Amino acid sequence: MDIQVPAFLEPAWNLFQGAPLAIQLAMIFIIIAASITLLAYFSILRNRYRGYQRARRLASLLPTLDNLIIEEVLANPDPLANTHPDRVQLNLEEFWKLPLDKKWARQATTDRIIHFRRNVRGNAGHLLRGLYLQLELDKDNIKQMKSSKWERKVRALTEFINMDIPIADVSILPLTNSHNRELRAAARHAYIKLSKNEPFKFFDVVTDPLLMWDQVELFRIITTTEDIAIPNFARWITYSSNKSVVSFCLKLIVHYNQLPAVSAVKKLLDTKDHYLRADAINCLGKLKVPDVEDTLVAMYSSQPLHCQIEILKAVGRIGTGKYIDFLKQEFLHSTDFDLRKSAAKSIVKNEWIAGQVLQELLDTADPESLLILKHCMNPLIKY
Amino acid sequence: MNGFLETAGSVYENTLFVYGLVLLFTYALLAILSMLAIRRYVKRDNDHQLNLLSSSPMAPGITILAPAFNEGLTIVSNVRSLLTLNYPNYEIIIINDGSTDDTMQQLINEFKIVPVDFAYNIRIQTKPVRYIYKSTDPAYSSLLVIDKVNGKSKADAVNAGINVAAFDYFVCTDVDCILHKDTLLELIRPVMQEEKKRVIAVGATLRIANSSEFDEGVLVRMRAPKQLLPRFQEVEYIRSFVLGKMGWSYINCVPNVSGGLGLFDKEVATRCGGYDHSSFGEDMELLTRMCRYAHDNHISYAVRYIPKTLCWTEAPSTVKIFSRQRVRWARGLAQLMAAHFSMFLNPRYGKMGLIVFPFNFFFELLAPLVEFSGIIVYIVLAVLGKINWPYALLLLLFVYTYAIMITTISILWDQLSFRYYKSWKEVAYLCFTPFMEFLLYHPLIVINSLRGYYNFLTGKRSTWGNMQRQGFGKKK
Repeated sequence: MDIQVPAFLEPAWNLFQGAPLAIQLAMIFIIIAASITLLAYFSILRNRYRGYQRARRLASLLPTLDNLIIEEVLANPDPLANTHPDRVQLNLEEFWKLPLDKKWARQATTDRIIHFRRNVRGNAGHLLRGLYLQLELDKDNIKQMKSSKWERKVRALTEFINMDIPIADVSILPLTNSHNRELRAAARHAYIKLSKNEPFKFFDVVTDPLLMWDQVELFRIITTTEDIAIPNFARWITYSSNKSVVSFCLKLIVHYNQLPAVSAVKKLLDTKDHYLRADAINCLGKLKVPDVEDTLVAMYSSQPLHCQIEILKAVGRIGTGKYIDFLKQEFLHSTDFDLRKSAAKSIVKNEWIAGQVLQELLDTADPESLLILKHCMNPLIKY
Repeated sequence: MNGFLETAGSVYENTLFVYGLVLLFTYALLAILSMLAIRRYVKRDNDHQLNLLSSSPMAPGITILAPAFNEGLTIVSNVRSLLTLNYPNYEIIIINDGSTDDTMQQLINEFKIVPVDFAYNIRIQTKPVRYIYKSTDPAYSSLLVIDKVNGKSKADAVNAGINVAAFDYFVCTDVDCILHKDTLLELIRPVMQEEKKRVIAVGATLRIANSSEFDEGVLVRMRAPKQLLPRFQEVEYIRSFVLGKMGWSYINCVPNVSGGLGLFDKEVATRCGGYDHSSFGEDMELLTRMCRYAHDNHISYAVRYIPKTLCWTEAPSTVKIFSRQRVRWARGLAQLMAAHFSMFLNPRYGKMGLIVFPFNFFFELLAPLVEFSGIIVYIVLAVLGKINWPYALLLLLFVYTYAIMITTISILWDQLSFRYYKSWKEVAYLCFTPFMEFLLYHPLIVINSLRGYYNFLTGKRSTWGNMQRQGFGKKK
């Protein structure tokens, strides 16, 4: 095949034709590398230009928008008597002068409303929600929910959660079993926050582990959502086969101080999973259940180290003073440093009843033990 | 004789050709993998959830370990910077490693610290600890200072900190590093998001602080370094962290978590003996040992990296100090390879033995030797008049353009994900730096690596040396 090349490229072309394969490949890759480098420069330039434009647009929009939100909503948080804040018709005249026909401006407005809403409570929060709905910003979000991209759906669900916009269970429930971890987590958060039926239903069916990361948001949603019927979490402690759900429920039991759940938690002391057992001991200690002390002390010697530490802490927290001698024995005779420290901390915590034992230990302890005691007694040292 | 030389030359030529091809292919692959990893990170990036964690009672505790040796110039502002971090459950441990300047006195004066009776559990052997201090001011209740005898290594100081650390995770940093306020939130996130594996270490991108502006230990304005040597290092860091480590992170093959900033699982780090104080590359050595421990104990582990810049460090700005640093790094690499050579191509160590170790051996350890031998052969052939100059120049041009392309791609990934520099001029400076890097900076790296290997082979005594810092206390 006879290829026509411009005259100035002819020497290079001749060199290419006469070169061995390795050199020909090198020449091709020189062109590819140079082209990719130029393309990269162009992409950087374009990206920076877009960023610059975005920043400029937002710089002109946000001050006006913030002023409007403050003047129209936040400065008048108390609506007329007998009118629920959700039904207040806001004066939107000035808002419509903003470029809300543009997608970026609508998104910026939504972001600002969410930002303000996170920092206010009561009527102001309801009015901000009203503003969001009256500006019809939820329509964009409904569109996003239909997107095939998971990250858009996650964004939409998060927005609904932040704005307290109810969604039909049938729309969220399928997403709670999505293959995508982020989407699955967002859907579960939305379900608990927004479902009016059984917000904790998915605890019954969830088979994959609840990640620590997701638990943070779940915990926040459960503990801050108003009008949510908090169930007795013992139900999942008893029946759930998902260890992460059980562990999470133990944290909620502590948070809500659910003493009726104690008998279910006690049954967990027999579980084979020693991490779960340690969580259960921790829970019982924080609930300060006096009648589990005997069981905990009885099982102590057969437990792995971290369970033993939890038992010593629990005995210190429960603080009946019944097992001060047990703590003293562990402090004096245990060979593990962490066990000795935990025992000492529990003794110090119960100083009101163990004062005499503590003084005796301070008087007779060897230098290492004395150091541990002083460490635990020093208010400057937290851990 | 001629026949032998010709055969040897041909074998050398072919070996080098295959070596070069594999290296170039690996970099191209890393460019693709890093793009996938960064895209995944950006999609999952969620400020809202970080905010939630910052006030959550469920945030895992983290201990920050920052060893200090003669850091009197910057110690106060840097500790203040650490105290401003945004995290609900952390403690800061500063380890004064027998400083001979006023580091300790400044800490005592500024933070009202007093010696306390602290029960110190020696899990890892270190040089003796003199005193442990806590502040009487509740505002600094999260601060703890260890004053110990100088151990002549950062490793010894950090090990003392690990012994005192209260939490399950520790972040190791240098006291002269400036951290982003969300560093702890970002570093713990991969640990909390991991579904099946145990995350034993997390690293993040480091950047050069030399021309950036800081106020009371907080970054005010990020700039590309104005001086050429630090700017070369900035570009090298972007390539190494954003392209290299993110690419490796995507396939769970991270070879190293930088000593400047890394989060580690304390239990695994302690069980494998902590940092090796005799190593010159203690950060890489620790990670290798942690991975080895995990394999030996059938722990399904992961090491993760974050593309976001969370740490700024002052880079050497003179060739002398720079050379000292790189000689030490090269020696550390050689030490590591020798100490753990049994992992090399050993299927028992999974990806570590079959990918990470061979890559480090062939393309990190041997690369300077291969380059040096190539230059010698080049000179010999040139003297003998056996070089086809047009072809030779073309090959050189190919390597040159390829190197520029790879570095530019890493700058592109960085720029597309995070808009760090305020002006386009700074980005332009960075983009033009790779053109000079190949000619001015790379030879320095090769020479210092060879010096490091020589020191390793001859067992030459080596000192840690002082970085002679400028400090970030005030706006520069």
